[in-house]
Amino acid sequence: MAQFLQAAIIGLSLGAQYALLALGFTLIFGILGVVNFAHGGFYMLGGYVAYSCVALLGVPYPLAVLIAVAATAALGWVFELFLLERLVDDHLATLMLTLGLYLILSNGLLQTFGPLAMEFRFPVSGAIRLGPVYVPQENLIVLAICLAAIVALWVVLYRTDLGRGLRALADDRAVAMAQGLRPKLLFPMAFALATGLAGLTGALVTPILALSPGVGDPVLATSFLTVILGGLGSLQGAALAAFAVGLVEAFCSVYFGGSIGALILFVLVLLLLVFRPTGLLGRTVRGA
Amino acid sequence: MKLALFVAGALALPAAALAQSCEVKIGAMGPMSGGAAQWGLAMLSATELAAAEVNAQGGLKMGGKSCKVTVVPYDSKYTADGAAAGSNAFAAQDIHVIIGPVGSPEATGIKPVAARNEQIAWNAAYAKNALETKYPLMFHIAPGPAAWADTVIKRAMKVFPMKSVAIIAPNDQGGTDIATVDAAAYKANGVQTTEEYYQRGTTNFAPIVTRVLATNPDVVDTASSPPGDAGVIVKQLRLAGFKGPIGRLGGPGTDEIIRVSGGIDVLQNFYWFETVPTDDPKVKAIDDQYRKLLGKDPVGGTSVWADLPAARLTLKAIAAAGTDEAQKVAAALRALPVDDPNLGKGYWGGKKQFGIAQELQFPFGVGIIKDGKNLGVERQEVTPE
Repeated sequence: MAQFLQAAIIGLSLGAQYALLALGFTLIFGILGVVNFAHGGFYMLGGYVAYSCVALLGVPYPLAVLIAVAATAALGWVFELFLLERLVDDHLATLMLTLGLYLILSNGLLQTFGPLAMEFRFPVSGAIRLGPVYVPQENLIVLAICLAAIVALWVVLYRTDLGRGLRALADDRAVAMAQGLRPKLLFPMAFALATGLAGLTGALVTPILALSPGVGDPVLATSFLTVILGGLGSLQGAALAAFAVGLVEAFCSVYFGGSIGALILFVLVLLLLVFRPTGLLGRTVRGA
Repeated sequence: MKLALFVAGALALPAAALAQSCEVKIGAMGPMSGGAAQWGLAMLSATELAAAEVNAQGGLKMGGKSCKVTVVPYDSKYTADGAAAGSNAFAAQDIHVIIGPVGSPEATGIKPVAARNEQIAWNAAYAKNALETKYPLMFHIAPGPAAWADTVIKRAMKVFPMKSVAIIAPNDQGGTDIATVDAAAYKANGVQTTEEYYQRGTTNFAPIVTRVLATNPDVVDTASSPPGDAGVIVKQLRLAGFKGPIGRLGGPGTDEIIRVSGGIDVLQNFYWFETVPTDDPKVKAIDDQYRKLLGKDPVGGTSVWADLPAARLTLKAIAAAGTDEAQKVAAALRALPVDDPNLGKGYWGGKKQFGIAQELQFPFGVGIIKDGKNLGVERQEVTPE
């Protein structure tokens, strides 16, 4: 029973991190129709910005996280406005642009900080113990921030004019534009929102795990897997899938081991896509 | 008059400048990014130092000429395809000698490709087939756990009595080849053993830690997990409440493990294998030599010291052969005695395990950290096969 509870705690913690990443990824696809291959790069950048603020400038960690969010959102906004926007409907061009940005970010960080891992610690450590079950305090804080961010994103998208505008553009861009909505204003904001979420996750998670160039690679793979499972472009689907992926990963790894756990996860995704190609909550496959 | 000026100018040139009349390129290969970056960068630093030493003495004597040695790095990313691609990339640059790669997947990837490209390669893998008689151009930097695991376990058991151990390693050849040999060595010492494997690329080890701790081991051994991964495993083991010693019967990387795990206070009790006796002042002096010749710090920790003899010996063999053509350099290498200015006398070994005596064997070390205090690395002698 203790092992079951422990697996559930780990799964929820993983799920919250995956949800933040997947929401940003699917937001960009849902609204702009762009698959952002630089998503892992923004995660990595968020970690390095927070690390630099704390280790080099002596900024308190909570403020460093906010700076990391602002920096990744600002870079995302500039990238969308000046590069992506010009070719936003050309899928191959946007793929190459985002992939290129990822390579620039990862190699830039490699040259600046070197290839070895940074000594970057979460300011709170220790665990709350309930008999044999433990909950790391840092994971609990990250889980709370992730859930708050998910709720905030939901409020922005479903309770504000900005969100209504973004959803209208995602549903039918031509009609939304006829109603006076301006993609050139809203697309960079959507991109910035998504990259800011990736930066937030990087700033929160890398001090718990590890910060080194290359930590963005598995992030892209996980985000992709999660949003495909949830249904590309579906925010609710991405959130649901993220927690499903986290729980499946945790339970399978705990009960069947690290190798078989990863295998089971991919087999489940494969089966789901065979029987439901649109994913868990995807309505239709988005047109090119 | 012109001739006099030319002669005067030539005499004024330092030996190192004359060495630039021809160039010999040496490849340095290994993972230079990711969790195992420390090992690949060590390979590069060692090769750079060996080249700088030769260049400082006027260059590599080859066929009546003194040639400048240039080091060309390649990041093989700890993958078989990365190492194979690296071999081809070096072949395209007319490079016949490679110091590296590091890991077992890389060794598996490079062997057939380097043989086809007629290249010498020095792998540092602990794979069971790190050397094979069908690949006579492959050399081995240091022995795997079959040669030293028993000594490390016996030394560790004096400080940390243990009845059970859980070994965590990646599920590819780089992990399983080492973990199974480690497990056999623990069992031979009466220690009950479980093996736990993970997918390379895993970033969060919490589920694996939960699974491992369910077996209630006295010790957890991170075997050949890359140092970056091992650091996260240690951090999450301690967070989960594991208070026992951590072992490492795999590639060294103690500095990186301490940094990633959160410090020596988190690591607390630790024993590990070192490829060379790292507390020996003559071995430590390698770093001073590197700073003196290259004007910067070496990267890669103690692995630099272990990789250096292979690079030095290879350059000596090129000089003896008078060419960098692989077959002739390999023949010259086999004939050279193993003697390094810093590591001292060593031996050619490997005949017993691989059927081919192309493995460098030097004294090695066993390190102990007890109660957060580094007790140092104890020298262990080797005997020739």
